[in-house]
Amino acid sequence: MSLNKFSKLFEELDSNNSINKKINSLTKYFKSSSNLNNILTIYLLIGKRNKRFISGKSLREYYADIYKMPIWLIETCYSKVGDSAEVISLLLQDNLLKKDIKEDISLDQLLNKILPNLSKLEEPKKKSQIKLLWEKTTNDNQLIFNKILTGSFRIGVSKGLVTKAISNMVGIDESIILHRLMGDFDPIEETYIFLINEKLEQKELTYKPYPFQLANTFDEKIKETTSINQYQFESKWDGIRSQIIKRSNNISIWTRGEELVNKTFPELIKLISDFKNDFVLDGEILIWDEIKNCPKEFSLLQKRLGRKSPSAKIQKDLPVVFIAYDILEMNGNDIRSKVLSERRNILEEKFYNPISEDQNNNSRKIKITKLLKIKNWEELEEAKNSARNIKTEGLVIKNKNSKYLPGRKKGNWWKYKVDPMQLDGVLIYAKPGSGKRADLYTDYSFAIWEENKLVKFANAYSGLNNEEIKELDKWIRKNTLEKYGPVRSVKPELVFEISFDNIQISKRHKSGIALRFPRITRWRKDKNIKDADSLENAKRMIRN
Amino acid sequence: MINSKQNLITQKSHGLYCQPANTWIDPYKPVEKAIITHAHSDHFTNGCREYICSIETGFLLRKRFGNNLNLKTIDYDKEFIINGINFSLHPSGHILGSSQIKIKAGSEIWLITSDLKRQKDKTCKSYEKLKTDFLICESTFGLPIFNWESTNKVIDSITKWVTQSEDYTSILFCYSLGKAQRLLSELNSQNFKNIYVHKSIEKMNGIYKSLGIELAETKVYDMNLVINNPKNSLLLLPPSLNNKNFLKKFKMVQTGFASGWMSIRALKKRSGFDKGFIISDHADWNGLIKTIKESKAERVFLNHGDGESLANFLRDKEALNIKQLKEVK
Repeated sequence: MSLNKFSKLFEELDSNNSINKKINSLTKYFKSSSNLNNILTIYLLIGKRNKRFISGKSLREYYADIYKMPIWLIETCYSKVGDSAEVISLLLQDNLLKKDIKEDISLDQLLNKILPNLSKLEEPKKKSQIKLLWEKTTNDNQLIFNKILTGSFRIGVSKGLVTKAISNMVGIDESIILHRLMGDFDPIEETYIFLINEKLEQKELTYKPYPFQLANTFDEKIKETTSINQYQFESKWDGIRSQIIKRSNNISIWTRGEELVNKTFPELIKLISDFKNDFVLDGEILIWDEIKNCPKEFSLLQKRLGRKSPSAKIQKDLPVVFIAYDILEMNGNDIRSKVLSERRNILEEKFYNPISEDQNNNSRKIKITKLLKIKNWEELEEAKNSARNIKTEGLVIKNKNSKYLPGRKKGNWWKYKVDPMQLDGVLIYAKPGSGKRADLYTDYSFAIWEENKLVKFANAYSGLNNEEIKELDKWIRKNTLEKYGPVRSVKPELVFEISFDNIQISKRHKSGIALRFPRITRWRKDKNIKDADSLENAKRMIRN
Repeated sequence: MINSKQNLITQKSHGLYCQPANTWIDPYKPVEKAIITHAHSDHFTNGCREYICSIETGFLLRKRFGNNLNLKTIDYDKEFIINGINFSLHPSGHILGSSQIKIKAGSEIWLITSDLKRQKDKTCKSYEKLKTDFLICESTFGLPIFNWESTNKVIDSITKWVTQSEDYTSILFCYSLGKAQRLLSELNSQNFKNIYVHKSIEKMNGIYKSLGIELAETKVYDMNLVINNPKNSLLLLPPSLNNKNFLKKFKMVQTGFASGWMSIRALKKRSGFDKGFIISDHADWNGLIKTIKESKAERVFLNHGDGESLANFLRDKEALNIKQLKEVK
C-alpha cells in the first residue's frame, strides 16, 4: 500500500528477464494490495500519459542548486546514465546527504495529493519542497520516486504483461482485460473493480475502443505456401489509424495511440452524428486532396493534429477524411468474430449508398477503402512498386477468413511496403543515446554534398546491429574533431546508406529538404566520402 | 606537464616510467624492469626482464603467468633502492597484494595509488594513508553517481536473491581474482551449501587459502557436466561466460553481475543480466576525493577512466592543482 512496496515490485520486475517471474511478481502484488493502490500501480506501470510533475531537466537543475553541484557535472553524469530520474537517484545515494527521517507514503497520497500540490507551488517554495521530499525518501525508493516525478516509466512492463497478470489472476481472457484497459483510464478504485470483474457486463465497454489489430511485415513465403485467392488487397494509407465509435448518441474517435481526438476533427463528429445506425469503424484519418483525389503529405496531417480546436479556415485548408477498412460493431453487436469477407460485406452494404451518394464523390469525408484487384503475385509486385504514385505506403494484404483479433496475429494481416528511397550520406555528428543506449554513441547525423561542402540532411538512430554500434562507438571516440556538450563532430570519413519513406521541401531545415522516417540500412564500408550523394540528387527525388 | 623533463614520473608509450631508476610501473609492453602493482592481467605484461612486486602479488603472478618469471618480492613498507631512488610498496586495498608505490628522490615524494579501495575487505590489507608531494591517483569511478553501499547490504541482497529463487540456478558473474574471493569471504557467514566456482576462480582461491584467508566452502563447477542443472545453488563464473550459447544449457537460471558498473541500469540491460549487484574493488566518488585530499599532494594526476570531470570539479571547488593524465600512444 505504499511507495516501499511499489519500489520492491519495481526492483523485482527490473531484475528478472523472465516473463513468468514478472507475472508472478505482479500477481502477488495485486493480490496483497488495495484496489486503489493497484489501479495507481497499473497507471504507473503501463505509462498511459503519466502526468509529468517536473521535467527531467528542471530536476537536474534543482539538484545542482540545492546540493551545490556544478550543472556541467550533472549533465556529464546524465549522458553516462541516460535517464534523469536515475541520475538524481544515484546522486542522492551519497552518504554525506543522509538524513534520518524516512517515511513510507501511500501511492494515493503521493499521486493525488503531495505531487499535485507540489506542481502548484511557486519558486522558491517548490525547490524547498523537493528537497524535503528527497530527504524523506529512502535510498531504495529514490529511483521510483524520481521516476514518478518525471513521469517516465519505461521499465519493460508492457500493457501486455499487466494484462496477462490480471487475466491469470481473475481467470478472464486476456483480450477482454485488454479491451477494458483501452481508451480513457481514470486511476480510481472503480476502474480496478471494473478491470477485475469476473462477470462480463453487456454494456461495460460503451465508451471504449476495441484493441486494434495490427499487420505483420509481408513474408515472401506466403507466395509459395498459400493461394492468392484467400486474400484481399488494400492500399496502405499513411494517416492516423483510428476507430470511429458511434453508440447511440455517444460518438468518439480514438487513435491507435489511444487518444481521444473528437475536438481535433469536429467536421467528422458532425458528419457521424447524421448517421442513423450505430457502429464501430476501423480506418485511417488523412488530409485529402479533393482535386487529385488522393491523400496529401503526412506533415500536413501533423499540422492538423497540432490544433486542438481548428478554425473554419483550417478545416477548409486542411480537409480531413476518414477511410474505413473494417467494421467491428454494428448496432450494438460486436462482429469481430465474423470473418473479414463478411465484415467487408456489411461495411459495403451500410456505407455505400448508391442512390443518394456517389461512392466516387471526392468530397465525401467518410469513405471506405477500395479493394485492389490483384490476380497474381506479379500484379502484387506491380501494385507495390507504383504505390507512391497514388500517395500510399504500399499495400495491406488481409486474409479473408480471418477474425478481427487484438495485436499482431500471424497470418491474418500483412503490410507490404513500397521500397524506401535511399541516399548515401557521410557521418558528421554523433550523440550518446538515452535509456538502454546511454553512453554509447548511437544518435547520428549525416551529410550530403552541396557543391564541395557537406550539408547535414538527416538524423538517424537505428538500423545498425549491436556489433556495428560498438565498432562505430569506438571509431567515433577516436575520430572526434570537436565536442559541443554531448555532441561530437567527427572526421568525415564513413559513408552510410540512409533509407527513408518520403522526402519533401522544408524551410525549417538548412539543407532545404526533410526526410520521413530516415534510418540506416547499410554501413557502406566500400564507399569513399566522394561517393556520397549530392543535395541535387536528393532534390530530384521530391515529387510534386 | 608530467612529461616535462624535471618530473620524476612520466607517462610514456609503455606506461608510467621513472627515468632515473629506469623502472616502469605496470607497463603495457615488455621492458627491462617493471614494478607490478597487482596481479590483474591488465596491469601485467609478459616478457619483462625483471619484475618487482609485493609478496602476495608474487604468489598470484606465478600462479597466473608461470613460475619462470624473474620476480623479486618485497614486504610492504620496506624501502628498496634502484639507481639511488627510494621505492616502497604500501597496501592499496584493491585486492590481495595490491600496492601503492611511493617513490622518493631527494626530498621529493611521488605516490602512485594504482587501483585502490577505501571499503573494508577481509581478503586484503586496508588502504594505507600516505602523504605525498605528487600524487598519481586512479579515477575509474570518477563521477558522483558512484556511491558504494555497505558490503553487508550487498551480501544480504545476494543471499536473498539466491534463497528466494530455490528452483533456479543463480549465476553470479564476477572477476576471477579479487572480486570472487571477496564475495566468498563475505558469503562464508551466510551458510550456503551449494557454491560452485569456475576453475579459474578455484585456482586463485588456493593462494588465498594458503595465506590463511577464510573463504566459503566451494566446489569446482565442471563445465563438461553442464547437463545437470544445480538447483538452489550459487555459481560464481567469470563474466566472459555471459553469453547465450553457454546460458542456454541451463533450464531455470538467473544471472547477476557484481561490479561497480552495475550502478548504471543501462549497462546492466545492455549486458542482459537479470540483476546487478553494486560492489566494487575501486574507490567511489567520495572515496577518491577523500584519498586525494588526505594525500596533501600539491599536484595531482588522475589515471585510468574518465578523470576529466573529477579533475575539473576539484580544481574549481578546492583550487587543487589537478589534471587528467593523457594516454600516450
